[in-house]
Formats: sequence, structure tokens, C-alpha cells
Amino acid sequence: MSICQDLGLNFQQRMGANISQLERDIGSEQFPPNEHYFGLVNFGNTCYSNSVLQALYFCRPFREKVLEYKAKNKRTKETLLTCLADLFYSIATQKKKVGSIAPKKFIARLRKEKEEFDNYMQQDAHEFLNFLINHINEIILAERNQSTLKLQKTDGNKEGVTCNGTLPQSQNTDPTWVHEIFQGTLTSETRCLNCETVSSKDEHFFDLQVDVDQNTSITHCLKCFSDTETLCNDNKFKCDNCSSYQEAQKRMRVKKLPLILALHLKRFKYMEQYNRHIKVSHRVVFPLELRLFNTINVPQSDDAVNPDRLYDLVAVVVHCGSGPNRGHYISIVKSHGFWLLFDDDMVDKIDASAIEDFYGLTSDIQKSSETGYILFYQSRDASC
Amino acid sequence: MANMRKKTQVSFVIRDEEERRHKNGVSSLQLDPIQGRLYSAGRDGIIRVWHTGGGTQDRYIQSMEHHTDWVNDIVLCCGGKNLISASSDTTVKVWNAPKGFCMSTLRTHKDYVRTLAYAKDKEQVASAGLDRAIFLWDVNTLTALTASNNTVTTSSLVGNKESIYSLAMNPPGTILVSGSTEKVLRVWDPRNCSRLMKLKGHSDNVKALVVSRDGSQCVSGSSDGTIKLWSLSQQRCVSTIRVHSEAVWALLATENFTHIISGGRDRLVIITELRNPDNFMIVCEETAPILKLCFTADQQGVWVATSDSDINCWKLPPLNSLNSDMYNQNNYNTNNVYQTQPLHHIAGGRAIKHYTVLNGKRHILTKDTANNVVLYDVLKACKVEDLGEVDYEEEVKKCFKMIYVPNWFNVDLKTGMLTIHLGQDETDCFSAWVSAKEAGLTTEMDQKVNFGALLLQALLEHWNHPNRVNEAGQKVIGNNFFSVPLHTPLIFSEVGGRTLYRLQVGDAGGETESNLLMETVPSWVVDVAIEMAAPKLNKLPFYLLPHSSCQSKQDRQKKDRLVANDFIQCRKVAEHVVEKIVGGGDVNGASAAKNSEESVNESPEERVELLCCDQVLDPNMDLRTVRHFIWKSSVEFTLHYRVLKQ
Repeated sequence: MSICQDLGLNFQQRMGANISQLERDIGSEQFPPNEHYFGLVNFGNTCYSNSVLQALYFCRPFREKVLEYKAKNKRTKETLLTCLADLFYSIATQKKKVGSIAPKKFIARLRKEKEEFDNYMQQDAHEFLNFLINHINEIILAERNQSTLKLQKTDGNKEGVTCNGTLPQSQNTDPTWVHEIFQGTLTSETRCLNCETVSSKDEHFFDLQVDVDQNTSITHCLKCFSDTETLCNDNKFKCDNCSSYQEAQKRMRVKKLPLILALHLKRFKYMEQYNRHIKVSHRVVFPLELRLFNTINVPQSDDAVNPDRLYDLVAVVVHCGSGPNRGHYISIVKSHGFWLLFDDDMVDKIDASAIEDFYGLTSDIQKSSETGYILFYQSRDASC
Repeated sequence: MANMRKKTQVSFVIRDEEERRHKNGVSSLQLDPIQGRLYSAGRDGIIRVWHTGGGTQDRYIQSMEHHTDWVNDIVLCCGGKNLISASSDTTVKVWNAPKGFCMSTLRTHKDYVRTLAYAKDKEQVASAGLDRAIFLWDVNTLTALTASNNTVTTSSLVGNKESIYSLAMNPPGTILVSGSTEKVLRVWDPRNCSRLMKLKGHSDNVKALVVSRDGSQCVSGSSDGTIKLWSLSQQRCVSTIRVHSEAVWALLATENFTHIISGGRDRLVIITELRNPDNFMIVCEETAPILKLCFTADQQGVWVATSDSDINCWKLPPLNSLNSDMYNQNNYNTNNVYQTQPLHHIAGGRAIKHYTVLNGKRHILTKDTANNVVLYDVLKACKVEDLGEVDYEEEVKKCFKMIYVPNWFNVDLKTGMLTIHLGQDETDCFSAWVSAKEAGLTTEMDQKVNFGALLLQALLEHWNHPNRVNEAGQKVIGNNFFSVPLHTPLIFSEVGGRTLYRLQVGDAGGETESNLLMETVPSWVVDVAIEMAAPKLNKLPFYLLPHSSCQSKQDRQKKDRLVANDFIQCRKVAEHVVEKIVGGGDVNGASAAKNSEESVNESPEERVELLCCDQVLDPNMDLRTVRHFIWKSSVEFTLHYRVLKQ
């Protein structure tokens, strides 16, 4: 093993900057035109960010929207979104096909935006993803509101009418491109066992949080997600119709599937006896193709609600190590039919069969593991 | 066990002394054919007794009150001498039926008791509910219980894995069947408590059961919408009857088990020939889901209880008139019902469905099932005004006042009447200190009262507690301001759990009641209601700074952190500013000192105004109101002052 690595190193040095091991692995004929594989430099425990950014970069609909934003917004003040757009743009416009890049501006901005990230500690990649997507969405909404206000103002001046400053409802409820890509809808249905009235509540999500069991698959875990739960004993349901606490059955189902389905495997469980989060390394198989079964058919709804959507795995953020605040994050992504492993500034081509290595462990003895943590599935009808 | 004991809460119901009508749905019915009386179990916690004979005169006889939550089921036994009741307050109660008083309370169940079954020949009753347990009771033992001899042994039938919603026994008591969310029927022999069989077939909860006299057959009604006839001797389902479009919740079999009368969520009462289910007829359509069916004395009619408070009696068709033609016409054509007008009607009352606690945290505005709006006074446990059918939302808006008083009670509408809980969960019963003058209790200035303390003192006014003496050795009665109605039901219970004791406010003086109160009333109540300890005052920290428009010296930049009672008015803060800050000559130096003599006659609010978030404050507004409505945050509450005259 070590010999191979050494040879690789020597080889790279010998070839100089002209051609990398990665390019050789892919082959110059096979190397996709207009595609760049750039590692991201680690600024001290920033692999949580690097791994997520790489995964997002290879979620094509997201990358395209970010680059589109970059093209449209020339002179706006710096936000996390402009930093992300600059980073994506810089990767996409590199002369070289492979290499590494330092996301310096992005990390600096991130540390300014959120106190929790303003240090050199290891962070939770899912928390970062969640923050990033929500934050970008807020930026888009705020910019949209601002432009509407401006529009209204100019309109008002023209007509000589004063504007009351309220926004048209549609402006705030119209989905942003972040919504269009990541947002799905869950419905929780609760049936009171006394009056048997079903009340349902819709909930939007940017990612689904999935409980993991030993020796299972994502398909199974998603099915469990929709299992009926009985609210009883001290946890009864306050039924509006009965005006009292009654037993009830509750279940969650997916009402609208997103374009990109992000699944967060809940691998960090809080253990009271240790007073901290412990990593659950259970083996959970994630298929390359995924179809969800816990969806509901809404007959009179629009095309976007597609219960039969078939998904392809496009990226995986992998956690390596034994706990949430220790270890390392890497990502594997699919690009033009082959798989790549991004480990901070290093990029390697891997075999599709190697993905199995990230399913998890069948025994609970080993503490440390390299396991899929966030899975990005892209709807096949969305692929470009 | 003692250290596991949960916190005790105090509750009371705001209601009329006599509530002659059911205020909520009616869960169960029992007929005494000899006396011509109908017993009805209400979700208002009250069992009522009615005359069945005669014309349209008032049928009400009496109320049987002791439960503190829904009464879910009742059985009349011992030839009409006793009644057993099961309730969501987790108890089973034994009653003297003719006189209507509660003889004993059985506290064996740990969750809502949903259902009862009765073996007439053996005078045996079974109870079951959401704790999954079935208990068998010998009625003659139960009625012989006294205060000293109050231990009772029961047999329990174990094995149920989920909550039980239905039970049935045959009159000789040889067969007991239970229905649960497990979707199976479990069958026992109650004579030796042995499990006989488990019958699978339903796809949802089983909510109604009847067993034939010989114990060979059983009929079940399920939330899956079907009725199933089972042969217990063959351990199989004989037929599935699909006459209802929704869940089946009530069943009644004719005496020779030839026909089944059923009702449920689709509000229809349907009679079906068991051996030939094509022969069925819709007896009537009710206005609400049907909860219970009960024959009239001559078995020519059926009393129907629903989740509405009305009870109706409907004429049944002659059994030989059922034929499959009805089926061929139209399955669910409700125009095709046998009867459209009931024979008898017992009108129910209205249940409160919505409430709003007004800002002063003393009055509650409610809306009932008939859209009637009523204003209640929680402090005095009484109704203030019946506003009739007015716009509720509009009325709530009209009642808005910009005052903030902390929450000190919780409201519960489970019985259809207002139940107020004190000391529940995190709600601090003593958090509301108010001016006695503003509460209309006295004309004296500056007297502060605590709502929770006043109310507890009034609720326990009649309790002869030995410590009820003041420093001068005199007996202290109540709170010196007001009393609550004597009929007010007062309930002590574990928070979110079982009832420990219920009595009426006026009965607390009795010897038995006093002794029971000594055992039940928690110390946090005794301290305040009997020993008249003053509850703790709520302190509110805040910062006081000069307003930016009148900063004259740099050294006043530092924040003054002050602490005051949350109910003090801004006027008091202004006084503080005048005395401690401005009066000291810090602001505008000498000129303030020069004018100090003249300003003696001036009120502090004329010299200094207070601001919060750049809004000038009304001197009458109290600090907690400023924080709630203007500062709108619980941290770093900051006030500014501005000197008006120099």
C-alpha cells in the first residue's frame, strides 16, 4: 500500500504540473469537456464545509442556479451567496482541469455570518448544509423584496401616488430557486381514536432526517419514517374536536418530492450515560437508484408533485471517525458517469463498487468508521 | 411510591348549581324498565336520570355528580338498585341508583376507563380501558364496601397488548370478549380467567361488542366500518355486514340474537337481520355520530345517544318488515329512512368550544356549540354576562386592553364547561399581583393583591383547618373581599393525571371532608389559603438611562441596573428619577437644585417622562406591560428618562 502511494507521489512529481494522476486515471479522451475537478484547501477543520460544497457543486441544478446568480448580480454587496457564487465561478472557469483552490473568501464570510462557525473546531456537516441552504434562501428572498420595493417606489413616483410599502402577497410566497431545488413537503396525519377525525398538517423540508438501524437500507429507513405512531399514556393528543386529550395515531408521509432529495442519516445519537453524542456506525445500504413509497397521491395537484419520481444518487458526504466533533468529512460525487472522491484539496477517481465501503459497519465493536452521512439524490426527470 | 408522587393541582368548575341538561356528548345509556327511568352518562362528567314515561313534561329527575372527566360507560345492576360507571378520570364508581349518590370509588385503573360489561345472572361487572387491563368486579362485594372495609379483590384478565375500547359478557358470565386497537377480539372465560381465543379479521379498532346469551356467538363493530358475526364455538367469522359507510361505534342485539341494531360515525341507526344481512333498514338519521343504543322497555323503540348532548327515542320497524327490497333501492339513501321524527326528545345543553383569556388574566370569553358568547370571571368562579349570539372574534377585539398580567391558571374545556386548573405544569399560580383598586375589590389606594392567593382562600373558605388563626388568635375566614359559589366543584388531582379528591366548596366544613382535605391539600396551597402566607413578589430587572436627547454629562452613560416589582407603575420609576438622579443635581447641575423647591408641588411625571423604544410611557402603565407590549423581549429591558422642566 505504502509503496503504491510512494510511486504515485513520485510519478506526480515527475510529471510536474502538466498532467495529474487524476487526469491519467480518467484519460484525456474521457475527460469531460467544460468540467473541472478542484479540491478545496482546508483552513483548519473546514472539511465539514469543503465536503458539503463539493457535493453541492455536483448537484447540477444547484450549480447552474448559483452560476446564473453570479452572471446576473454584478455589483451587489458581499453575502455568503456572492461568495459561494464566486467560488463556483472560479472553479468552473479554471484553465486547468484539475487542481485545488482555496475557498478563503467563503470561509471568512461564513465565520462572520454565524458565530458557531467562527472558530477552528470541527463542525457538523449537516448543520452547515442546513444553515447554508436556509441562509441562501433568505438572501434571495431579501433581495427580491428589495427590488419589489424599489419597483413600487418608482411606480409610485410616476403615478404620483404614495406607496404604503406593503408587498404583494405573491412576492413572499412564490418559491425561490432554492425552494424549487430542495424543498419537499411532508404531511403529518393524526387520527383521534375517540372521534376518528383526521387532522393533517403540512410541513416543508429542505432535507429529510432519517433514523438508522443496523443492517438496513435507506429504502427501509424511509419506510419506517412513515410508520404509524400511537400517541398514548402521558403523550396523548389534544383533539380539537373532542376538546380533550385522547389517544391518536400519527403518521408522516411525503406529499411533494423535491428535485434534489437530501437525506440526513441521524448517525449522532445523544447517549445519556455518556452525556454526549455517540456515532452510530450501523450499516445502511444506500442504492444508486431510489424510489420512495411513502408518498401520497394528490389527484388534483400540479405536475411538480410526482409520487413516482425516480432518484439517482449524485453525491454523498462521508463522515470518517468516531464522533461528531472529531474525525473528518470527505465527499464522493458522481460526474459524467464516473465517481470521484474529494478529500479537501485531493481528488481521486474511484470505482462505483467502492461506494459500498461507506455503508457502515455490521459490528458495533469498532468505534471509528467511514460512513455515508448526507446523501444527495437527484430526480431523474431533472437531470440535464 | 411516595417519592414518585406527582405534584398536586387544584381545579374547579365554573357552572350553575343545577345543570339539568347534558353539556356535552352522551357516551352511554341504561334503562330501568321497572321504574321507567333512563340513565345517561355525559361527557360533562355527570350522569343524569330521566323519566321515560309520559308526554312532553320535563323528564329530568336528578344528576349524579362525582366524576371529574367524561363518563364513558355505565351499567345498571342489582335490578336497578346500583349503577356502575367508568370514566376518563381513571376511576370506576359505584352508585346508589335511586338516590343518586356515590357509594365508592375504585382506583385500580391507571388510564381512562372506556368500557364496562355486565353479567346479569352473576351480578358481575368487568371494566377496561386505555391501560390495557381488564378487571372483574363482584357487584355485591362492591356495594358492601364501607369507609373502613374498603379493600376489594379483583380478578384481572391479562394479555391485551393495546388499549381496550370495548367489552361484552353474556348474562351467565361464561364468556367475556374485548375489542382493542390491536384489531383482534380476545375471548376469555371469566370463571377461571383463562384465555380462550383470539379472533382476527377486523382491519381497525373494535369499538362495540355484544355476546349472545349462550356465549356461542358474538357481534363486533369496528372503525373499519364493518360489523362481523363470529361463531365462538367454531372460532371463526361467520359473516361480515357492510351497511355503514363509516366506523361502527354502537351495537344492540335483539333478545333472541336474530337482528342487530347499529350506529356510528355516519350518524345512521340501521337494523340488520344477522343471518341474512341483505335484509336491513335505516331506522333514522341522527345529527351527530352515534355513541350508544338502548332498547325501550317494550323493545319497540331505541334510545340513541350521540356526541351531541341531545338524546332521542326512535320507533323501530317490525322485525318481519325487513326485506332485501330496501337494499335494492338505494344503499345509503337517507331519504329512505324509516322514521324522520323521534318519538321522544330529551334536549341537551351547549358545550363551550372556544375560549379567550382576556389580557387582565381574570375574565374569559367563551363561545359554545350554538355560537353563544358568554363572559366569565375566573377570580369569583362565576358567569358575568351572557352576550348571546354575537360575533365572538369582534367581541374578543372589543375586550382588548393594553395591560399585561402573567398567566396564573390553565383552562380546560373537556367537559364542555369551564374547568380552571391552578398549579398545573409550569404555570405559577401566584404570578399575578395586581392593584386591588383596579380589580374593583377595594377603593383603597396602593393595596396589592395576588389573584391566585385570593382565589385559593375563597375556594377553601369553609375548611375548618386547625391552623386557620391569625396572629391575634382570631379565626381568619376567606380573603375579606369575596366568596365563590358554594356549589363550585373543587378538585384535587395529580398534574396531568388521576383525581385525588372532589368536593363542593360549601361542603369543606364537614368532618369527613375536613379530614380528607388534610390528606390531600398540598402544602403550597395550605401555606397561602390557610396560613395566609404572602406569595413571593415578581421582581423585574431593568436598566435606566438618560434619553439621548438630554444627555448633558458623559458620566451618566453607565447603565443603572435596577430591580422592581413587576406591577409598579412608571410613575414610581419617574419618582425614583426625580429623587435619586435629577433631584441630586446630576442633570443640568445647579438649575435643577434651584428649582427643587418650586417643584415640590409638582408630580414626578410632570418633571420627568419615561421612554421605552423611543415611545413616551403613560405614568399609569406598569413595568411588565411596558416590557410586554413595547420592549417585546425578555432580555435587557431598558427604560430612558427625559427631564421636562428645569
